Amino acid sequence: MNMRGFIRILSAERLKLSRSFIWLLVSISPLVALPVGALADIRQDGEPVSWQVLLNVMSMMHALLFLPVLTGLFAALICRAEHSDGGWKMLLSLPVTRTAVYVAKFTIIMALLACVQLVFFIVLLSIGLYRGAEGAVPWPLLISSLLGGWFACLPLAALQLGVSQGWSSFGAPLALNVSLTLPNILVVNSATYGPYYPWVQPLLAMSPFGGESFGAFVLPAQTLMLVVSVSLIVFLGGGLLYFQRKAV
Amino acid sequence: MKSTVITTNGLRKVYRGRAAVEQLDLNIGQGEIYGFLGPNGAGKTTTIRMLLGLIQPTSGDIQIFGKELRKHKLQILRRVGSLVESPSYYGHLSAADNLEAIRRILDVPKARIAEVLDIVSLTGEEKRPVKGFSLGMKQRLGIAAALLGSPELLILDEPTNGLDPSGIQEIRSLIKRLPAEYGITVLVSSHLLSEIEQMADTVGIIRQGTMIYQDTIAHLQEQAAGELRLTVSEPEAALKLSSLSGCGGSLQESRIVLPRMSDARVALLVRELVENGHAVYRVEEHRQSLEQFFLQVIEGGIS
Repeated sequence: MNMRGFIRILSAERLKLSRSFIWLLVSISPLVALPVGALADIRQDGEPVSWQVLLNVMSMMHALLFLPVLTGLFAALICRAEHSDGGWKMLLSLPVTRTAVYVAKFTIIMALLACVQLVFFIVLLSIGLYRGAEGAVPWPLLISSLLGGWFACLPLAALQLGVSQGWSSFGAPLALNVSLTLPNILVVNSATYGPYYPWVQPLLAMSPFGGESFGAFVLPAQTLMLVVSVSLIVFLGGGLLYFQRKAV
Repeated sequence: MKSTVITTNGLRKVYRGRAAVEQLDLNIGQGEIYGFLGPNGAGKTTTIRMLLGLIQPTSGDIQIFGKELRKHKLQILRRVGSLVESPSYYGHLSAADNLEAIRRILDVPKARIAEVLDIVSLTGEEKRPVKGFSLGMKQRLGIAAALLGSPELLILDEPTNGLDPSGIQEIRSLIKRLPAEYGITVLVSSHLLSEIEQMADTVGIIRQGTMIYQDTIAHLQEQAAGELRLTVSEPEAALKLSSLSGCGGSLQESRIVLPRMSDARVALLVRELVENGHAVYRVEEHRQSLEQFFLQVIEGGIS
């Protein structure tokens, strides 16, 4: 894969997203988390809220449902135009390698997810500062939580990109994704399956439950990183192999 | 001799045990408009997809610009522009932005966008979102996109499909200009003979995945050209005249049918008939339309 070719495809892919409603999706989850963070844990005694509690309550819905669902939605959206009216034919008959196209599409999903995390971070930071959360801003905690959540989404992104490019239907990959995301509510409480279920990893990575040990939350970070990395390699490699052999 | 741009050798593509393309030998010369003709489902699009590297041939090889497609795919595709099936766009983007997305991949100067918009007469419409375009405009934009990289070879799959007559006319005159003005070789497919007849220099007719005719349009027209029919008072006796039977005349429904011949020959024949006491009632030229000839070719064997 030639780097200049890749950068050119990436720049074309970015242009395709301009003026797209995809950017509205980026801010949905942080906006939902905003009132949650604003109203959570208001104490009668006037004690300030802690950063950790804020992060926990706000990332609950965000990482449990929104991040996995958005990942699938982004993957489906960036393949949609290619599926209609011979778009793959047009794109792949240009002087591009399939690997470069696939990796560029994946990079776009990664970037969109990073934007989601960034907006979430800004909202979280604003609420914490506005409510005068206890102590100084715990940068390492917040940053590792947000980066971890982002990283844990990448295997899902790889799988959803694989499915979205393979199926010409727009709805089917989304339905698959949602039906695999909903069990999160149960799986997260399971110490047996939680650690290995890719859809629940974003929450495990984001929530600093630390001491409170229930379900899969007691997982050491190394296990989590290993599970995420291995599933990322498997899903990305599988999707790429399929895409290279695909008849267009 | 003109150099060849596309050569395929025993090209074959099998889908689930059924051959979509079988033993196809294409031969397309530099600077010509090659009409790739065949009924729907004959294997035209499958062939074109193989030429663009979108699918792998089951066997056989493809050479474009004298290079093996399998080995030099990117180098070759850099010099090829294509429009396969209906063009695809990002509807929310303007025509110029759609071209810009492709321009970024091809890495050609920005000025090229205005140039190709001008070639397809879309100048002035480039700021509008493509979703508001008519089918004809979208098709022209597709050709603009195909021209963006200043290709030496343009591959157009059914470019006039679904267009109204004026749209067809526009695309046709556009395609006819390309070799003369820009030196581009064009491969254009269609299921309509009249289309190809009006654009192409050379025609390749494909039926059930097999090439059954490949020659110049002029030669095709010659082969399709009709016969001479003579109605005379005593046809059987007339046919016995040496000159008539000598040029392959035959009797059909009490008329003498002869292959097409020059005006001088016709005059000579008529005089001979008259001099031998025959009354000549009618001398007709019956032209089989190219369409009929095409159907005949498609339905079975070359005539």
